[in-house]
Amino acid sequence: MDLQTLILTLSRFWGEHGCVVQQAYDLEVGAGTMHPETFLRVLGPEPYRVAYVQPSRRPADARFGENPFRLGKHLQLQVILKPSPADVQELYLASLHALGIDPAVHDVRFEEDNWESPTLGAWGVGWQVLLDGMEITQFTYFQQAGGQELKPISAEITYGLERIAMFLQRKNSIYEMTWNGELAYGKVRHQDEVELSRYAFDVADVEMLRRHFEDWERESGRCLECPEPLVVPALEAALKMSHLFNLLDARGAVAVTERVALIGRVRKLAVRCAKEYVVQRERLGFPLGRNGKKNGTSKPNGGSR
Amino acid sequence: MSTHEFLLEVRCEEIPANALPGARAQLVEGFARELTEAGFGGVETRAYSTVRRLVVSVLGLPERQPDRDEEVTGPPVKAAYTGDGAPTQAAAGFAKALGISVEDLRVVKGPKGEVIAGTKHLIGRATAEVLAEVAPRVVAGLHFPKTMRWGSGEHAFVRPVHGVVALFGAGKLATQIPFELFGVASGTATVGHRVISPGRIELRAVRGFASYAEMLGHAGVVVDPAVRRERLEHGTQALAAEVGCEVRPDPGLVAEHVELVEYPGVIRGKIEARFLDLPEEVLITTLRHHQKCLVLTRDDQVAPYFLAVSDRKDDPQGVVKQGNEWVAGARLTDAAFFFAQDRKQPLSGQVTKLERVVFHQKLGSFAQKSALVGALAPKLAADAGVTTDAAVFARAATLLKADLSTAMVGEFPELQGVVGGIYAQRDGEPEQVWQAIRDQYTPAGLDGSIPRGDVGALLGVADRLDTLAGLFAVGEIPSGSRDPFALRRAALAIVRICAEFPLAVSLPLAVEQALTGRESFLKGDRTEVLAALRDFLLERERFYLTGAAGLSADVTEAVLAARWGVVPDDLARARVLQSVRQEPVFADLATAFKRVRNIVSKSGSGSLETKALEEPAERDLLAALGVVESKVGTALASADHGAAVRALAELAAPLDRFFTDVLVMCDDEALKAARLGLLARVEELFLRFADLSRLGA
Repeated sequence: MDLQTLILTLSRFWGEHGCVVQQAYDLEVGAGTMHPETFLRVLGPEPYRVAYVQPSRRPADARFGENPFRLGKHLQLQVILKPSPADVQELYLASLHALGIDPAVHDVRFEEDNWESPTLGAWGVGWQVLLDGMEITQFTYFQQAGGQELKPISAEITYGLERIAMFLQRKNSIYEMTWNGELAYGKVRHQDEVELSRYAFDVADVEMLRRHFEDWERESGRCLECPEPLVVPALEAALKMSHLFNLLDARGAVAVTERVALIGRVRKLAVRCAKEYVVQRERLGFPLGRNGKKNGTSKPNGGSR
Repeated sequence: MSTHEFLLEVRCEEIPANALPGARAQLVEGFARELTEAGFGGVETRAYSTVRRLVVSVLGLPERQPDRDEEVTGPPVKAAYTGDGAPTQAAAGFAKALGISVEDLRVVKGPKGEVIAGTKHLIGRATAEVLAEVAPRVVAGLHFPKTMRWGSGEHAFVRPVHGVVALFGAGKLATQIPFELFGVASGTATVGHRVISPGRIELRAVRGFASYAEMLGHAGVVVDPAVRRERLEHGTQALAAEVGCEVRPDPGLVAEHVELVEYPGVIRGKIEARFLDLPEEVLITTLRHHQKCLVLTRDDQVAPYFLAVSDRKDDPQGVVKQGNEWVAGARLTDAAFFFAQDRKQPLSGQVTKLERVVFHQKLGSFAQKSALVGALAPKLAADAGVTTDAAVFARAATLLKADLSTAMVGEFPELQGVVGGIYAQRDGEPEQVWQAIRDQYTPAGLDGSIPRGDVGALLGVADRLDTLAGLFAVGEIPSGSRDPFALRRAALAIVRICAEFPLAVSLPLAVEQALTGRESFLKGDRTEVLAALRDFLLERERFYLTGAAGLSADVTEAVLAARWGVVPDDLARARVLQSVRQEPVFADLATAFKRVRNIVSKSGSGSLETKALEEPAERDLLAALGVVESKVGTALASADHGAAVRALAELAAPLDRFFTDVLVMCDDEALKAARLGLLARVEELFLRFADLSRLGA
């Protein structure tokens, strides 16, 4: 199965299972979790289901296009099911079936793997899903986000798309894996991996990155101090800080003593955004309903408990 | 008749491997405790589990809970009886509540004086009824390393619960025990293996645990971990034998495999020959760390195969094997990439990057740490009288932590030290240098071997002393079970290296030097921090002497009270003392020394004016003391503790005579001072060896 069909199949599958099929966030983020459709939606009582592909940037993981398994920018397909339905594992396995992966002939196992994001003040408990020994999905029950205890609990399913495609195609390099049956991934993306690596490791202007980190920190604060706080713009500013931090880190410009402090400054804003978001939704009367009472999303398989 | 049986199955989403052994132990303990408290004696409780279920079997239950007598205390005697001993209304009411007559009341002592008491006879309930209360309480009360909430978020457990089966009966378990667990009502049916037999399995009227286990066995679920372990071991050995190999022993990994599955399947995959050029540690760690694979060996060499656990009986299309081989190949390609990338420069090329690798948030980088360790180690060498090549020493200290900046250690933190050692060896660094780098993290407490070379041993001690001093300086002092930086293990490793290498380093002095290195980070009072550090090391030395070294507690106290911290010396003194303590002369010597200590500690150490001493007994003691002092001095100088202790024994007779013939506390002040002075000199001499007053009978 090529990468494109993988994306289309999973999007259709989750769309048919009540998810809003969203688009990637139009900012640089380190993971699909940072998309407001995850980070904000998991807060408060409103049920929600969403799926989207998120290009995720981890500048420090970039390898100049030389390592066959590592990328500075990779694709995640992110699914949020809020509240987590009782049959969430079965739903997930059905999504594998849709990809032509029949659990009857493969070895599918759920092995403990917990998740934590100090930048977002978030953590969860869950597994990595192994298909014949290959990690294909991160499966997390969110317990806390933006420093808030979550209730109801959301299930987050994150498919690592390049890895799955490589595995299904049995290719020994990401760059050889086929994107659409004609073009190889490398033909589409190799050059930008090389350039983004060079930028992150050798070229990025440290002074400018630092300055912008401070600028966006102030901007985020200003948005939150508006009489009616501007939650999404404030979060966007915090996300920009997070990416600037990642670039500084890849560039080797983060001193040991300031690392935790810089992450803490982003988290502080993320936590404030989370708090303001819940206040705002409450003021709006929780338009998507409260868990189990009024629900904007469809509920196939009678899943929710 | 106690022939009834209880069967409980709690079905969950996949439970972490590290949570299961503890859960089983707690289930057995919890049911045994609750049932004993409820008056059920002689029951047999067993717990089993798979990755998706917890199972409890209780045998030997009666159909009804036995009747029990319970002691109940009531009002004070004063309120219970009138002046002439007649029972009051209070006593009558109390007796009535217990269902007994007033005559059966007794008087017992309570914490606040005498009260009346009586025996309440409790009629047993149906066992099923008791189980319906006990089972959910025990399961909900389990402690896990980490719990989670799910769905509406109301319940917390290790993983979401999907089904509960609770059955009771004799022969056939026909009675369903009704209760709710995390919103799931107990029932009578379970399901089999997710793939092998996902359908519903009715368990009502199953003939006990053995039949249940058999039924689930047919459904692809092996509920007993001991059986899974046996089958896995059998399976791995058979697959290894097929290709003329042996399984490289890895008990920790096998224990984990047992918990990862419902059905214990194993597959053998092939490793491409080109990966066998990778350093063996890298190869093994890659397969183990990421893929939880066992490695095969042939003639002690890694063979081109691995074994992976799979939750399946078979591999009909070969995709499981193929997939695992692909992943192993991918992981090894990745490792080979890291290896090649690291090898583009010598290990020394990584050193400058250490400035960006954090040792501890409050204690700066590993670059700083390396410098401090490099400065401390030669001081230890000088103290221990070890001569080392200064250049080799400095080189090893410089490179010690360099592998923390390598891609390989970034990927496999557990290979720290090993990777540095391999790279340094390949760089052509002297053997002493690469060995020191490789050995720096061993031993880990009581596990692991001692570094092989001087440089490794000294740097290993210096590194850990710096860690202790640094963390104590910023207030990260272990307390109770809280020891996040494993400082107890580090301190124990220091003691072990000193004892077993051996290194005659004075630890109280060495730790002060280490603290001086960390002076600029110090929060709090230096004297207090230093005292805490010394106590900490002394405690670990005591632990080592009485534990690993097998010395008795009082001998250890006697030796360490005299002086501590040069571990080989402390150990030698303790061993000699332990070997001679049973001889009668040492019993006498210990008694005499106790008297010496008592007198000197009560009345002071006087001032030894030898001319004032006139009695033959005291003149003899003085003369003997001179001789023994010289002998002890010579013996200790050559670390001949046996000779030292023999020499001290020569004082037993003169001391005995002294205490018989001489009155120390005489009226003549000058004479008294002289005699006290004499005893103080005796005390001082003994304390060069041990404080014999600490010896028990």
